[in-house]
Amino acid sequence: MSAETVLIEVCGIHGRVQARERVTLTGDTRTFTIGRGAHADVTVDDAYAAAIHASVEVTPEGKVLVSDLGSVNGIVVSGKRHHGARNLELADGILKIGHTRLRVRTAHEALTPEKPDHIEPASIVRNPAFIATASGLVCVAQLAYAGWLGAPRDIAAAIVIVLTSALLAAGVWVAFWALLSRVMQWEWRWLRHAAILLGVTAVFISLHGLLELGWFVFSLPQWSTRAALVGAIAFACALYLHLNHASNISPRRAALVACIVPALAGGAGYWVMERERMRDVNHIDTSLRIYPPSLRLRSAGAAEDFFRDAAKLRPAADEKRKAMPGDDEPGEAGDDEV
Amino acid sequence: MPRCGLAGLEVNAVNNGVETVSMRRMSLYVLTAASMACLAITAYAQAPVAVPSPAVTPATSENARDVLSRVRPAVIQIRGFFGSNTAQAFHGSGFAVAADGVFMTNYHVVAQKVQYPDKYRLEYRTAEGKTGRITVLAIDVRHDLAVVRAAGLAPAPLKLEPVVPVKGDRAYSIGFPLDVGLTITEGVSNGRVEDSFDPRIHYSGAINGGMSGGPALNAAGEVIGVNVSGYIFTQLVAFLVPAEHAQALLDRALKQKPGAGSLRKDVLAQLRAHATDLLGALDGAMPTQVTAGYALPAKLAPFIDCIASGDPAPDQPVHIVRINCSAKAGLYVQQGLYGGNLKYSHFVLSTSKLDAWRFARQLSDGAFAFGEHGSRRHVGPFSCNNRIVGLKGFDAGVLVCVRGYRKFEGLYDFTVRVSSLNGSKRGFASHLDMFGLEFEAGLRFIKRYVDALEWKP
Repeated sequence: MSAETVLIEVCGIHGRVQARERVTLTGDTRTFTIGRGAHADVTVDDAYAAAIHASVEVTPEGKVLVSDLGSVNGIVVSGKRHHGARNLELADGILKIGHTRLRVRTAHEALTPEKPDHIEPASIVRNPAFIATASGLVCVAQLAYAGWLGAPRDIAAAIVIVLTSALLAAGVWVAFWALLSRVMQWEWRWLRHAAILLGVTAVFISLHGLLELGWFVFSLPQWSTRAALVGAIAFACALYLHLNHASNISPRRAALVACIVPALAGGAGYWVMERERMRDVNHIDTSLRIYPPSLRLRSAGAAEDFFRDAAKLRPAADEKRKAMPGDDEPGEAGDDEV
Repeated sequence: MPRCGLAGLEVNAVNNGVETVSMRRMSLYVLTAASMACLAITAYAQAPVAVPSPAVTPATSENARDVLSRVRPAVIQIRGFFGSNTAQAFHGSGFAVAADGVFMTNYHVVAQKVQYPDKYRLEYRTAEGKTGRITVLAIDVRHDLAVVRAAGLAPAPLKLEPVVPVKGDRAYSIGFPLDVGLTITEGVSNGRVEDSFDPRIHYSGAINGGMSGGPALNAAGEVIGVNVSGYIFTQLVAFLVPAEHAQALLDRALKQKPGAGSLRKDVLAQLRAHATDLLGALDGAMPTQVTAGYALPAKLAPFIDCIASGDPAPDQPVHIVRINCSAKAGLYVQQGLYGGNLKYSHFVLSTSKLDAWRFARQLSDGAFAFGEHGSRRHVGPFSCNNRIVGLKGFDAGVLVCVRGYRKFEGLYDFTVRVSSLNGSKRGFASHLDMFGLEFEAGLRFIKRYVDALEWKP
């Protein structure tokens, strides 16, 4: 029977291999031992490991079976600790002995295909460079439009200021995620993170603009928390994608984090804002955004209906008035009232 | 009508109607000065002098010294104290109008006591330095008058002369300006102010802070009015409450039973009556003015001041005409709170240089909805209704916001913003702000205001 090689790797932080031991299996000897002692086949420097801690058997079919040889701390397989267990299968190849994470690799392991380091013409649309460029152009166009719209006197300066500050902010954001990728995944992934930021921004800026335009075009009712909600969803999407590309956490966990973080931050922000609004008697919740009249598609409501609805403002205002906290505003001494 | 507290706003409006940061600051400064100006003085009279009886022939003398010596015993300084402090918080003047120590003064002199009876106490001080307690008997917020009783003081009352003197008649004003001692100023009556919502006599003479509530007299020493306010940074333009209103309040005060009703309830009832009168005076057809094709509410009543202005430079991207109107009707209720007033402004935009998109943005900015500044001590937050509404000949974005008064239940502030949506080269944003009005009447007025807007190309 021909010799078969098994690799035992000591995993460091972020999956980095710190040491690698090669074990050769021959004929009927398909078992080797791991422990702290010199007489173990594979020696680990771990104070929490026994002299002969565990034995590993690689079956001819490629299955890896682990047994605990009576250690104090037992072995951890698939996240569970076992004491004195015999012939546990290592499905993911990861075995924890003491405080050491070991990966057992055999000739039967499934390898991911080799990554091409050039762009395949067929997948150009999914290529990060393409997405980053295309959505970057959309973002620049949106920002330039906003600058152009609001500054009838000096358009060029306004656009330059807007673009420069946006570029700076995007650079800081992308650099943060690229650094995280470098630490956790050993790749910078600049383009991928730029594509995520610009792509998500482009989609949600457009969505926000469409919703705003919709109010004008179709005479829809105003919805004051719309912008905040769109922003929170955009942030959640970006966070999910960044986490997936920059860390080892599972997609499910990334989705959970991406939902919880914006929900917590947004919820806290919304709560604080609402509380402030309760106390700000000069705040007006809605403002008008006007577009060219040719865009209007739906006819306006009747004035009669508007004023019938306006009659309901009295109980609404009374309710808000009664919900006000007590007289805690500084009075005459620091008075800024007119 | 200018009042002590509102004098700054009047000055502001007179300048050009465009509110800037520096002007806001100035008006605040003016308010401070104006509240000082609302204080009174007492006479430090020496020898008691015979008070002219109604039988005496008037105009026996035009000499200020004579007038002062006749009325001096009847004039007191009214001082307000916060808590148990011995240093005063504010001061004004008053004068005897009936036997048994019944005195007349301004409501704004005693307003803090009326609103916070447990926090303030009132005392009088005569010219001789005699002091004693003051209690408020009756108030007239509308005419800024109050009748008070001074304990242990009963000088001969002054006679109220309800006939308003004609323009050019000699007149005198007495009080304690800026706490410097009893002062008489000499001036001329200019008769009734014609375009005032609240009745006032225009007195061309000095009235300063501390003289509020003091008497204004004719040459015969009869009271023709009560000192109430003056403009700051103007010369000798001052106002008196005509004596007929003092007489009416006095009659009411003498008839009512002691301890009847609450003064604070009176304030609310009077504010409501004033609000009703104000909107009642604006009833009927709404006059409009056409600017850039839009008919917009113009000067709705004589007591509303309107100023129209614009930037004459020819090469601007957007030409803006600003029309600012304000009713001179606000009542002083207490420090920082005025009720029963309204103002409106139109910003009419036109362009020959901007495209429809950028013009629409300029119009959006003009329509931006800032609420009129209010204090959360007095009002609750706004509730709003915001829709696109079809008006006469054009569609408009209409925003109506309402907030309630916390201590004067049934009174509301309204903020209205209307912006035209039909023009790509012309458009307007109209702002209407109303203070301290009743809900139904206020909303009815808003509806009439919005109905008056019309596209007349």
